[in-house]
Amino acid sequence: MSGQGHDLHRLTGAYAADALAGPELAEFEKHLQRCPSCADEVRELRETAARLGMATAIEPPPAMRQRVLAAAGRTRQLPPPGRRLPSLGGPRRAGRPRRGRRPLAAAALVAMAAAIVVLAVFQVSTQHRLDQAQAGNSAIAAVLAAPDARIQTSAATVGGTVTAVTSAADREAVITTAGLPAPSGSRVYQLWVLSAAGARSAGLLPAGAGGASSVLASGVTPGDRLGITVEPAGGSRQPTTTPVVLIPVRV
Amino acid sequence: MNTSPPGREPDGPPRAQEGRPELAGLLVSVARGDHAAFESLYDQLAGPVYGLVRKVLRDPAQSEEVAQEVMLDVWRTASRFDAARGSAVAWVMTIAHRRAVDRVRAESAAAQRAQKVAPGPVSGDDVAELVETALDRQRVRRCLGALTPLQAEAVKLAYYGGYTYPQVAELLGVALGTVKTRIRDGLIRLRDCMGVTQ
Repeated sequence: MSGQGHDLHRLTGAYAADALAGPELAEFEKHLQRCPSCADEVRELRETAARLGMATAIEPPPAMRQRVLAAAGRTRQLPPPGRRLPSLGGPRRAGRPRRGRRPLAAAALVAMAAAIVVLAVFQVSTQHRLDQAQAGNSAIAAVLAAPDARIQTSAATVGGTVTAVTSAADREAVITTAGLPAPSGSRVYQLWVLSAAGARSAGLLPAGAGGASSVLASGVTPGDRLGITVEPAGGSRQPTTTPVVLIPVRV
Repeated sequence: MNTSPPGREPDGPPRAQEGRPELAGLLVSVARGDHAAFESLYDQLAGPVYGLVRKVLRDPAQSEEVAQEVMLDVWRTASRFDAARGSAVAWVMTIAHRRAVDRVRAESAAAQRAQKVAPGPVSGDDVAELVETALDRQRVRRCLGALTPLQAEAVKLAYYGGYTYPQVAELLGVALGTVKTRIRDGLIRLRDCMGVTQ
């Protein structure tokens, strides 16, 4: 074992305490996949850290309960990992191979390839942690592979392009950006699902990666629009600026 | 370098998991869209989630917002919980801690927060502590007290303070490698002291 490997192994504690950031975090997560003993230790130290967390319990604000429960009622849940077997792909016309069903234009294929490249970047991106990355990436891959995936690309007013791959059947969309300029200061890009009912946040676009990122939006239905706005650090509850791009969700 | 775990001094059976064995089952029901199960999960974990987020963020309004996001994340991603990879408590608290830490780092308000560096005591804040966790709290305090001062400081700054380990090194004025080791040794000692088994 090289000194390097030994050194990485000593990061189990810092990792379990979420005290790693940047390239070191990505490097350690890569290492974790080939180091079962590190993974075991991380698991134990996570359990330990959770005890430290449990000891901080205090009475949450009473109004929070109703808000969370109501929000859960409006929020679609992630499917279990490893779904989308071919036989579960919804009604399919017999005798018709799937490949011929929706021929993708060359441009769309390019966009899809770009999304996949972004996914690869995503996986080692500094902000991203292992579990979230795995959950997020498999959900994103599922949308990209959906038989009814539809691809639209729009230019953003600030420069760069935004591509949306939507699956009406899954009510999900993957938004991929390319060449979006970094927002000024600590501001961030936030993705919104805009419907007649109002705006719902679909999360912040990960920073860095040269303006390229992929984000999954759930609960998307035809007639909605996907918008990206610039918001203060941490994001906002409702959009506070004019969207830099708006993409209508079509069937 | 002292990386070998010190002698175990288990302090009775671990409570956090064994006292809440039903949490994993609740998560499985939540993954199937069971709202009643989610309510009961909320009632058991919203206090710890809010407490931890508030410990890291300090600001009550921001903490409430992040704690809400955490609980909604639990609802949304419950299908990704895998009991073979850890306890339900650890799964939820990991989400809570990451969310809180992500918020801290996104805001890059480190400069402002550095003035309030010294993490407060585990208890004694101006908030209503939950009676059910009094034992957890006592045990954690006792086990933290059994660490070397540097181990305890490093673990508290990293976990409760939400600092990266290079920031912890800077705050404590010690070498990076030292902090790396102290956080790990500290957590290993806590694991043994609290009788965490996985």
